[in-house]
Amino acid sequence: MKLSFLPKDMDWTCELCRQKLQPGFVELHYAGNVFKVELPVCPQCSRVLIPEELAVGRILEVEQLLEDK
Amino acid sequence: MEQKDLREWEARCIQEEPPACKAGCPLGVDARGFVLAVKDGNPVGARAILEKNMPLAGIVARMCEAPCEQYCLRAICGGSIAIGALECLCVEAVPPRGKPLRLPPRPKKVAVIGAGPSSLIVAFDLAKKGYPVSLFHLQDGPGSWLRNIPETILPGEVLAEELERLARLGVLYRRVEALDESPWAEGDFDAFYIGQDDRLAEDLLVGLGLPDVVTFSLGKSGWFTGGLSAEDDEYRFITDVSQGREAAVSIDRFLQGASLTAARVALRHGKTDLYTPLENIQFVERLVPRAANYTEDEAKREAARCLDCQCLECVKSCVYLKEFGAYPKTYARRVYNNSAIVKGSHSANKFINSCSLCGQCEIICPNDFSMADLCLDARRTMVKEDRMPGSAHWFALEEMRSARTEAAVVRHAHGRQSSSSLFFPGCQLAGIRPDQTLRLYEYLQELEPATGLWLDCCGAPGHWAGEEKEFAVIIRDLEQIWLDMGEPLLLVACSTCLKMFREFLPRITLASVWTVLAERPPKSAKPGVTKVLSDPCTSRHDQKTQAAVRTLLEAIGQPLSPLKNSGELTECCGFGGLMESANPDLAKKVTKARVEQTDREMLTYCAMCRDQLARTGKPVSHVLDLLFADTSHGATEPSVTLSARRINRRQLKNTVLESYAVGQSIPAAQWEGLALHFEDSVSAMLEERRILEDDIRKVLYQTKQEGSSLVHGEDGSRIASAKLGQVTFWVQYKEDNDLFTIQRCWSHRMTVVGGTV
Repeated sequence: MKLSFLPKDMDWTCELCRQKLQPGFVELHYAGNVFKVELPVCPQCSRVLIPEELAVGRILEVEQLLEDK
Repeated sequence: MEQKDLREWEARCIQEEPPACKAGCPLGVDARGFVLAVKDGNPVGARAILEKNMPLAGIVARMCEAPCEQYCLRAICGGSIAIGALECLCVEAVPPRGKPLRLPPRPKKVAVIGAGPSSLIVAFDLAKKGYPVSLFHLQDGPGSWLRNIPETILPGEVLAEELERLARLGVLYRRVEALDESPWAEGDFDAFYIGQDDRLAEDLLVGLGLPDVVTFSLGKSGWFTGGLSAEDDEYRFITDVSQGREAAVSIDRFLQGASLTAARVALRHGKTDLYTPLENIQFVERLVPRAANYTEDEAKREAARCLDCQCLECVKSCVYLKEFGAYPKTYARRVYNNSAIVKGSHSANKFINSCSLCGQCEIICPNDFSMADLCLDARRTMVKEDRMPGSAHWFALEEMRSARTEAAVVRHAHGRQSSSSLFFPGCQLAGIRPDQTLRLYEYLQELEPATGLWLDCCGAPGHWAGEEKEFAVIIRDLEQIWLDMGEPLLLVACSTCLKMFREFLPRITLASVWTVLAERPPKSAKPGVTKVLSDPCTSRHDQKTQAAVRTLLEAIGQPLSPLKNSGELTECCGFGGLMESANPDLAKKVTKARVEQTDREMLTYCAMCRDQLARTGKPVSHVLDLLFADTSHGATEPSVTLSARRINRRQLKNTVLESYAVGQSIPAAQWEGLALHFEDSVSAMLEERRILEDDIRKVLYQTKQEGSSLVHGEDGSRIASAKLGQVTFWVQYKEDNDLFTIQRCWSHRMTVVGGTV
């Protein structure tokens, strides 16, 4: 299953590298579990953007599920 | 929790004890459930409840003399519920539920000699269990004296139907000339029941002897008897039926080679441990039917008089106990199962972490059931076994650690080398009302100049979170500080701190600030409008402090109006036991329920209670608002934000340090200097998401240093992020002339690793 959480608005640039963020793959770790998800990533320094909707939505939900495992 | 501990916990909660009516039924019929089903207009459900425990319900419901009614608690308020008449009506109105289920056939055979009520019950119970039963009866057919009952009470048709049902269960009717020993002579049976509620032959009766009163077994192995009631016995029918049932239990055990007596439950005769409060029950007289029997409508009205005997005393008073839909006995099982589970979801984690540990249930419960003890023990186990959800108490523990480090300070009074007393306001008073903390300290110094000041946290959050190791370290540290200060009398303002010190540091000599103030109220004190006083839940067992506050308020002329759950029965404001940290939505409900108990302004002597209760919009004052006019806060003043509390504590410490010597304060960190601006909606978002201004400043400072923000292509908004401890914070903002206007903030606990395009 492909977990893609790219925001509609991808118009973000990495201040450090002056590169536009692009769709990329990121590992999210929690409570011994690893999820590979698609998120905006800086192609040069790998800086990642976790959008607000994802953090307060799906990520929070999964964190709570894993905490009760 | 071990299984034996679970049993002990379960035994304390009496909610599952039978109501008196059920305890008074020799067959254990759930009369309460039955009556309530009638009340709810569910006659089919009502009949199903009867048939669960009542054999041959068509006969028994019509004939039973209803001994249950003598135990009904409604008796004192209008007469007991007419359970017998309602049962009669029910079996008349609703047909039986098809063929009763029968277990697979068993090889051993039973002879039932006699065909009176007790014999029919033995035959019914044993046939259902799969035993082949032969029922020996006289010429007039099975039923014995039941055949002589008037049609209006037991129609012959009903008796015939029930006997036919018995036959369909496999009971073989055998007509004999005399009820004597001849079945025994056949040598084909493994057990015998002699039903004495029929016309037995004299030679059979001679030498039977008296049966055991519990098992109804006779001296001869495999022989049992019953149906021993006198013809004029008030409860003749149901007693014989009951004896038949007990004998059937014994015969089943005998045929299986089991003990006749082990773990056998004796008849209760109405005795039960179920506690049912009888105050405030309205008198409603038993409904007399217009005709001979109740109509359906009359039955419903009569059934509506049922008190629905329940305990649930603790649940009625506690929003938390109501929230999870059950009562302590089942909660104990949930807690046990939660810890026993190896794989799968620990579904009771939130339940365990939501209790305010306030102890009200223990006071209310007739058996002292303490959800606080149950939940705290479970939390400790979760921490020990490393399965406490990381987010449950994180914020509160960080608050505690901050209050114990960056906001902590202890000093003797100015110019003194020792303290006879040491004022310990507690971290919440210091964070919520720093100005009043200092004002109160000033006053305590007026009373006793050698009074030092100790800003710190008592460690209660660590205790509540089940973090035993961290809490033990805190306790040792607090004791050492007190020893280093020369073992002064500790003057404590916070009820929680008082409780913690009393319980875990009994060496420390303590006094509640309120007892000191009650003896010498400040002259500047001014009463306000009539208020109701809400005692903090941690003062529940501290009657001395509760009384001192009332004495103080009386002395200053403050009029009080009573609040129902006060003193020993007081309620939590929603913060206690870290409820607010683990279950903020429930905490809001608890707070709302508390303020809705009065229309008046509220008053309290706990800073946390004040701010928690005031968050609902209710006018709430702190007693200090009445004592010191120069630092009084309005009852409608908004609660202090989480961010402000953190900053207030640090600033209070610096103010104290500066007062000793200029330049003594701790220099501000560079991130503290960042200027922030946000709309109210963003402030509310921070509060809701438990993100502090401190966190935002740290994130922005770090990002600024690294030049590592993300910049939006169109509107120039920026996003900064940083992992601070366990949590990664994100801030969306705009920067203009060193002023950061904060647009959005969010956080998560997941860790981001790598990133490849």
